[in-house]
Formats: sequence, C-alpha cells, structure tokens
Amino acid sequence: MQLKKTQRPRNIRRQLAAATCTLLAGTTHAGSLIASGDNWKIDSALLIYAEKDRVSLAEGVLNIRKEIDDDEFINARIVTDVLTGSSPNGAVPSNTAQTFTNPSGNSSYTEAANTTPLNHTFKDLRNALSVEWDTPFSRSLRGTLGGNISREYDYLSTGISVSLAQDINQRNTTLTLGISLNKDTWDPVGGVPVGFTAMPAFPAKKAIDGAKTDKTVKDILFGVTQIINRQTLMQLNYSRGQSDGYLTDPYKILSVLENDGSGNLRGTNPYVYENRPDQRTHQSLYWKGVHQFHNENVLNVSYRYFWDDWGIQSHTVDLRYRFDFDGGHYLQPHLRYYQQGAADFYRQTLTDGEENTLSYASADYRLGEFVTQTIGLKYGFEFKNGAEINFRAEMITQKGKDRSADAVGILQNQQLFPDNEAYLLQGGLSLDSDMVIKYIMGFFKK
Amino acid sequence: MLKTLLFSTCIALALSACSLEPVQPWDRDLLAQQKMQLVADPLEIYLDEHTYFSKEASSGGQSVGGGGCGCN
Amino acid sequence: MFSRLSALSVTLLFVFAVPAFAVEPAPDFTLPTFPDDREISLKDFRGRVVYLDFWATWCPPCRKSFPWMDEMHERYKDEGLTIIAISVDKKRELIEQFIKKTEPAFIIAHDPSGKVAIAYELRAMPTTYLIDRDGQVVMTHMGFRSSDKDKLEATIQSLLEK
Repeated sequence: MQLKKTQRPRNIRRQLAAATCTLLAGTTHAGSLIASGDNWKIDSALLIYAEKDRVSLAEGVLNIRKEIDDDEFINARIVTDVLTGSSPNGAVPSNTAQTFTNPSGNSSYTEAANTTPLNHTFKDLRNALSVEWDTPFSRSLRGTLGGNISREYDYLSTGISVSLAQDINQRNTTLTLGISLNKDTWDPVGGVPVGFTAMPAFPAKKAIDGAKTDKTVKDILFGVTQIINRQTLMQLNYSRGQSDGYLTDPYKILSVLENDGSGNLRGTNPYVYENRPDQRTHQSLYWKGVHQFHNENVLNVSYRYFWDDWGIQSHTVDLRYRFDFDGGHYLQPHLRYYQQGAADFYRQTLTDGEENTLSYASADYRLGEFVTQTIGLKYGFEFKNGAEINFRAEMITQKGKDRSADAVGILQNQQLFPDNEAYLLQGGLSLDSDMVIKYIMGFFKK
Repeated sequence: MLKTLLFSTCIALALSACSLEPVQPWDRDLLAQQKMQLVADPLEIYLDEHTYFSKEASSGGQSVGGGGCGCN
Repeated sequence: MFSRLSALSVTLLFVFAVPAFAVEPAPDFTLPTFPDDREISLKDFRGRVVYLDFWATWCPPCRKSFPWMDEMHERYKDEGLTIIAISVDKKRELIEQFIKKTEPAFIIAHDPSGKVAIAYELRAMPTTYLIDRDGQVVMTHMGFRSSDKDKLEATIQSLLEK
C-alpha cells in the first residue's frame, strides 16, 4: 500500500517528518491519563521522617495541576512541614559533660559525656508554595515558567526558573535548557555570628555581623532525553550552579582543642562558630534510564556525579524497580547509595590558634566524608478510574568514614562523625477533581 | 581522569543515540504510561530531594527550580 | 546534517499551521471494526467524504477529539460524511473499555500492528486525513486542538458541497 503513485521528492518527505516532530500532548511523552479534560488533577502526600534520637519531620504536600488550554498547564504545589528535635551542632563528644549556649543567647544546655552534642532548639514550621506554567510554543517546543517561595521562621527562599524543551528527530529526542535563580535570606536566631569567633558562655553575647544575611543561587541545566526503543528512555543532564553570599550555617560550631595532643578542649572559649567561603560553584552529570520489561515491570535507574570547588565529590546511584500485579496493585523496591568526599575545609576539630590562621573551617557532618544508604518499599494501587493510593516505608543510614585513628588523645575513644539512622513513612493519594465532586455530591444526597 | 572518562562516556552515549531507529508515533503506548515517565511520581521525588538536600552536600542534577531551605 | 537543519527550520515555519499537501489517492485498507467485528475497506465508502482519524486510548488529544467527532458525525452523516477512527492500540480490551464509556456513533476500526499507519506515513498522534468523494486525500491534519475545530469543519463542509 502506497500513499502516492508518484514519488514525492525525498526532501519534502523529510521536511514533513521534521515538521511533525510532534505527537503532542502531555508532559514530555504524553501526560497522565487522568490529567486530560477540564478537571483538576490532585496529588497529595504525607511524609513522616524520624531520625533516631534526632530530628523528626512531618511534611504534607498538595499538588494541583490543571489544563487551562490545549496542552497548557498550571501546576501549583503547597508544602507545609513541621520539624522538631535535635541536630548535631558540630562539636565533638568529650569524656566530660559539655555546656553550650543556645543560639538566642538567652539560655544554655548541657550534653552528657560521650554523646554527640546536639542543638535542641529546632522547632520549625516551613510553608512553601511553588507555581508553574507549562505551555507549548509550537508542536515541538515547550516552555515552563516557575516561581517558588518558602518561609521558615529564620529563613526565606524565593526563586524563579525558566526551562525550554525542544523535540527533534521525529520527537524521539528532546533537548532541554533550564535556568533558575534563587535568593535566600537568613534571619538566624540571635543574629549572624562572626565566623571563627567564640561561642560565648551564657550569659555573654556572641559577636554578630547584623541580624540578617543572604545568598543567591544561579543554576543552568542542559539535558538530552532520548527514546531508545518502544520500552526504553534515557536522559542525560549537565548542570552547573553558583552560590554567592552567606553559605555558612549560623548555628554550627567547631570544638577547639589544646595543641598538646591531649584531645582536651582548650580552657577558654572551647567552641568557635564555623566559617565557609562566600562562593561555591558546583557541577553535576546526571543520567537516568527507564526501561519496561516484557512482563510490564519497570526499572528506573539513575546515576549522578557531583563535584564542586569546595573539594566535594559525590556519586549517587538510585534504583527503583516496579513490579505490576493483576488488578492495579504494584510493589516498588527502592535502593539508593550515596557516597561523598569531604570539603577541603571540613575539620572535625580545630586546635588552639587555628581559628586565626585558617581561612575557612566547618565541622558540619554534611560536608564530611560519608555514605548514605537507603532501602525502601512502596506499595501502590491504581483504581480503574485513574485514582491512585500508595504507601512507602524506607530506612536511611548515614555513616561517616572512621577517622578515630587520626584523632588525637582522648578523642580516639569517641565517635567523631555523628552517624545517623532515619525512617521514612509516606502515604499518597492522587485523584481527579471530578471524583471529589462526585463523592461530595453523593455525600450530600445521603 | 574520572571526569574525562565520564565525559567521553556521555559523548559516546549521545552519538549512539543518532543511529537509533526512531520509535513511531503509533508505537508509543508504553512510553505514554505514567510509570514510564522520567519522573513517574513527582511528589515522591520532591520529598526525596528535600530530604537529601538537608542531609547531604549535593543536590539537583535532574531539573532546575524548586527552591531552598535552611534545613537541619 | 544540513538537511536536518533545514528540516528544523521548516519545523519552526510550520509551527501551528496545518500542513496541506497535494491531492493524492488514499491507500486502501481492510480492517476489523468495533464492537461488531466486521471487516471494512476504505473503498466501500467511495462516493462519500471520509474523515479518517488515527488515534489511541493512551493519547490525550485523541480522546479529547471524540465528542467533537461525534458531533460532526451527527451533523453531516446524512450529507455524506463517514468518520472512521482507526485505533492503533495494541490491545483490544483498551478500546473496548474506552468505547463503553464514550459510545461513539461513528466507525471504530483496529490496526494493532500499525500497517495502515505505515501506509499513511503517520507522523503524529492523532492524525486526520480528509478524503474526498473520489478517494483522494485532500488534507492531512496533525494533532487535535480546540482551535483546529473550525478549520476542520470548514474543510468537511467544502468537501461535502463538491
């Protein structure tokens, strides 16, 4: 069967092919079945995250997506989270009890001997809103414009982002370009401490450099998404970001030791506030593959190599495998492995006088050398009408590289890196506004 | 060395994509499924990124935007 | 490489335009229909204007076009319009489920292997071919947007008047 008896010139056919690098619709490769029509697609999730003896967090997310015109979407996401508990303050454990001043400077707290010193004052409520407008400019070019704002009692983050996605190669390849700009403001409790100055013993006040400070973060991303075959899709991104401004954590300190090799804290001002560079450039390569097997199970695997000019390098491997069962049930195991090298200025402790000679130092465990491992399982059920309910449970462990052999004196018997263990529980519900309306109507009819 | 290796792998991957047989529009039934999207469950990914952002020194890579926090 | 570049620039030119091509004969085909499972051939409809649509249950704009196609069917069937919507879904059950919900009055045919789609050099989902009473493809339209309706209907009308 031939469309034409006379052969159409070849280049026209090719142009026609390119002209239709289309297929249109939905997100990158056709949207969710229930995102169509005049309805709102509503996704919601509740997350409980609990660290052993440390921070606990409850986070609720509501996401609403509406098609406002053909293939043009507005997406809004509202997030609220409540955080309580304690976080390592940067000081190392000691064989005697240690007393620290609270960030406010109005009180102090004491940590028992041989325990990781924690800051116990974290009680935080965060509210965040982000809105995205996603629109086609042509059959093969889409644009997304986004804005976000997030508020905590001591932190405000605002940002905008723009991205473009161009389909080429008969819509088998998508090129993406994204840029974002974030402006964040710190309003830390008790003011912004001056780096390397002493955490004073209560009731003395710390030296501050104003009440507020800020930073800007600029990011750019280039990506290629390639359809490999009917069952396989891959993505490769390169991104580069630059942060400028106050990149220090105003609540983190370092223990300062006597320089006699005893490992004892120095007698006066044993703790100083950390101090980081005011600029950071990071880059990453990100690869993701999605493959559906003949039994309809789906493998989603990604790898990220991340590096920055603070000397940090990291490797992240993330693997999700979805088993589909009859009747709309699925199970999805999740494994994640993250390995990070330390920042050049990461120090578990300082010795007396180093705060005057070093340019930067931080004992924040997040800048140290460690491995994070995650194992989780998700169960989901898809209703016939397109709604979905799901639950997942995960365990996250963070383990630092053992440096006790390098530690001096009495510190050799201490756990210097604050290893961490956390559990995550999440429930999610996705539905269409139509279903909600039907349910409410049904409720009132009763 | 590692960077060079990674970059060349990427370039090799990108080039190999050029010789792929295109998937025709009528054959995209599987690719249209929600579970075959790069981000199949956006909220799950959002929550994961938020969690790890506050526990690790690396972030991002998959997309731009989202916003920061003064996380502990 | 240059041809790809020029092709790309043509892509941009075509942006939202509806590509119309030189009139040429529509390839004939024989396919099973839904839900009654009889065989139809395009040549059976010679003398009528045929609105030939390629769709799938997994394609959102395709699904969106169904109520409108039903409207066109009701409005113009007595004037000589036949709508044939060829599904390229691989599985019959998917079409059955969809048909149960939407109950289209026009003809649904099934091309699971895509052989007819190949013959028509399908480049997008959905694609509509408007075929005149003499069996010639007069218009090829890719995609389905609300804003396309008027143009499609005007073409149907002009073909019916011929």
